Amino acid sequence: MLKQWFKSGSPWIWMTGGAVSISLISVLGLLAMIAWKGLSFFWPSQVVQLELQGSVAQQTVIGEIYDREMVPKSRLEATGVDLSGYDKEQLERYLIKTGNREYVDLDFRWVIETDIKSNTMPAAIAVFERSKNGNFYGYVEQVIKDGQVITDNKTEVLEELVERAVELNEQALDLQNGDIGHINYQLERLRLQEKSYLLDDALTDERVAELAQQRADLRAEYGVLEKQLFALRKQAKRDQVTVKDMRGEIVTLPLYQVLDFWFPNDMSFVAKLGHYFVQLGKFVSDDPREANTEGGVFPAIFGTVFMVMLMAVIVTPFGVVAAIYLHEYAAKNAVTKMIRIAVINLAGVPSIVYGVFGLGFFVYVLGGSLDQLFYPEASPSPVFGTPGVLWSALTLAILTLPVVIVSTEEGLSRIPSTVRHGSLALGATQAETLWRIIVPMASPAIMTGLILAVARAAGEVAPLMLVGVVKMAPTLPLDGNFPYFHLDRKFMHLGFHIYDVGFQSPNVEAARPLVYATAFLLVSVIITLNITAIGIRNHLREKFRSLDQ
Amino acid sequence: MITVAPQVNQSSTSLKLDLDNLSTEQTALEIKNLDLYYGEKQALSSVNMNIPKGQVTAFIGPSGCGKSTLLRCINRMNDLVDICRIEGEILLHGQNIYDKKVDVAALRRNVGMVFQRPNPFPKSIYENVVYGLRLQGIKEKRKLDEVVEQSLRGAALWDEVKDRLHDSAFGLSGGQQQRLVIARSIAIEPEVLLLDEPTSALDPISTLVIEELINDLKNKFTVVIVTHNMQQAARVSDQTAFMYMGELIEYSDTNTLFTTPTKKKTEDYITGRYG
Repeated sequence: MLKQWFKSGSPWIWMTGGAVSISLISVLGLLAMIAWKGLSFFWPSQVVQLELQGSVAQQTVIGEIYDREMVPKSRLEATGVDLSGYDKEQLERYLIKTGNREYVDLDFRWVIETDIKSNTMPAAIAVFERSKNGNFYGYVEQVIKDGQVITDNKTEVLEELVERAVELNEQALDLQNGDIGHINYQLERLRLQEKSYLLDDALTDERVAELAQQRADLRAEYGVLEKQLFALRKQAKRDQVTVKDMRGEIVTLPLYQVLDFWFPNDMSFVAKLGHYFVQLGKFVSDDPREANTEGGVFPAIFGTVFMVMLMAVIVTPFGVVAAIYLHEYAAKNAVTKMIRIAVINLAGVPSIVYGVFGLGFFVYVLGGSLDQLFYPEASPSPVFGTPGVLWSALTLAILTLPVVIVSTEEGLSRIPSTVRHGSLALGATQAETLWRIIVPMASPAIMTGLILAVARAAGEVAPLMLVGVVKMAPTLPLDGNFPYFHLDRKFMHLGFHIYDVGFQSPNVEAARPLVYATAFLLVSVIITLNITAIGIRNHLREKFRSLDQ
Repeated sequence: MITVAPQVNQSSTSLKLDLDNLSTEQTALEIKNLDLYYGEKQALSSVNMNIPKGQVTAFIGPSGCGKSTLLRCINRMNDLVDICRIEGEILLHGQNIYDKKVDVAALRRNVGMVFQRPNPFPKSIYENVVYGLRLQGIKEKRKLDEVVEQSLRGAALWDEVKDRLHDSAFGLSGGQQQRLVIARSIAIEPEVLLLDEPTSALDPISTLVIEELINDLKNKFTVVIVTHNMQQAARVSDQTAFMYMGELIEYSDTNTLFTTPTKKKTEDYITGRYG
């Protein structure tokens, strides 16, 4: 009976099907876990007010329940907690995020269930999201608008005032990064210009005067803008709110530090949903704050996508041309075979090795020479002789080169020789046949190579730490200052951001959900890049459909 | 101009050519002492033949006899095979095409070739036909349009595709694709057209259409066809060459070869005793 079952072949079907299921379940499980852990962070959770008494002094704790776990009683007793009145083996304890970082030692604390005397969720508790020191939890006492205490419609007025302050802050930031940044950039260029004249021995009095004139103009402009900036900042500082915190003390929060506030215990499901998407939007579009433990990750998303695209632009022509040579022109002998094996093996070299190579060759040798040749005026500070986005893209390009070469070659060899012969028989040379017929027909395979390259490059972190990624980049590699693309700049990267937030953060508890959220975002970015490439490939495949017949 | 005049089948009426002593005007190609080796293996041995101009010459013989190899020698497609070595001469206009000075691309413009399986390019019908012209740098739209119409008419395809010239060539049936490939080849007006088993991948009706087309083509071109179908050779060709094991066994006008073969091997083959 069993023998017959074996003979029928169904065990094989079960085994292979099972292998597929396990792979599928692990992929989906992974995605589901990081998505849940990451995305649930933005949900406005309830804020509890706990009255504590027992092993700790009598006190009130206000905060979000962040985590819970079961702990053996003996372990708690070993740390000196008196639990003689309880006979349970396991006790539950809660991790409470209390916020108010500047007034308490730690903004997270563990609370044992036995200490909790009462547990309420007052509707009046407000959460303030601040640009410094994290969240603040407490009861709104007074709203002070321009020195005047508001008594009617406190919440509505507060909303207006917060909006106004946020608006003013944004204006100030735009001014600072936009116009003022532009002037600073110009001034720096003038300085370099002067120095390069000096180096060329061409610094005539005329030029000195001209430079001084330009500089004076810029400074004058700067003065005006600076006044505007100060005015904006001063306006933003006009209003305050006073809040009673969990110690019962009244604390004044200047509104220019408040980004948003909400009453989580008093929100309907729809309101929470709205709040959730606003927070999610901020995460994707804002700059990071507080050593990357708060705020958004926009520069990291931008840096990742920018670097990957730059890499794709570099690696595709190189890989395709190399593959064409190997497949079409190179003699079919042992040397070619060896080169091919070498290329395939190159794909197996650990990525950090490429990082070391990138640092040693691209940054120091190439970048250093570039600086000497073209930027002598900038010395001793390096322009290209320091890690940057260009060197990162180049390093990843050589890392992914084998992938592109191998799949392009595969595509070239799949093209039926009859098509090739048809073109040659019409009097085309080999080069003409290549560019008019073969390469277009191989383009789906080239895209496949590019997809694999992008997937590999977008997830690579180790080599980037050596050749250009930083924890916090003050400017993006693309902005409004000529020449717009600043390939010498350092950049932020989602993969490194995960590492930085997860392992280098001063506030581990606060950072943990961000690690998941960023990881989920990184996966999403890679999937988006891949789907785009797959879409293009399928379009090309459709065009050359009959090849598969 | 590629115009198609009403057709008299020359093989039955025309005077027989003395294939061994063709005048220069009558000769399209002269093959002299051609030997061909694939590595160590000799695939053709001392082939000598004159191919007359403006006629259809068929190569027949059992599989592996070297007929396709011989055909591919005429436009040097064998150059693409690394291990292939050729000795002897093929003269076109009295010039050896295996001479070092010969530009292979120019030769192939003069000696077109149609393969066993239809091999249209992944482009529109129009672009397939003008491919050879574009290679020569012709960009004038009027000229290209004119050639497309002429060539497609010449390949008896115009009426079927004139409304969808810019659709993909892959949308055509196998027989249409093969005629498109013929149109593509005659668009650059070669002198000689080589057909390598052009109907072996096609259905009987498409085969018939192509055979009629071959009859029309010889008014304009010298046609050399390889076929493993003896009836086809008898139907379309003026001269027939029978090859066996890399040797040219017998070569004469089609009527003679099929009715009164002089060699025993030829007779055995055409009566179906092997092959």
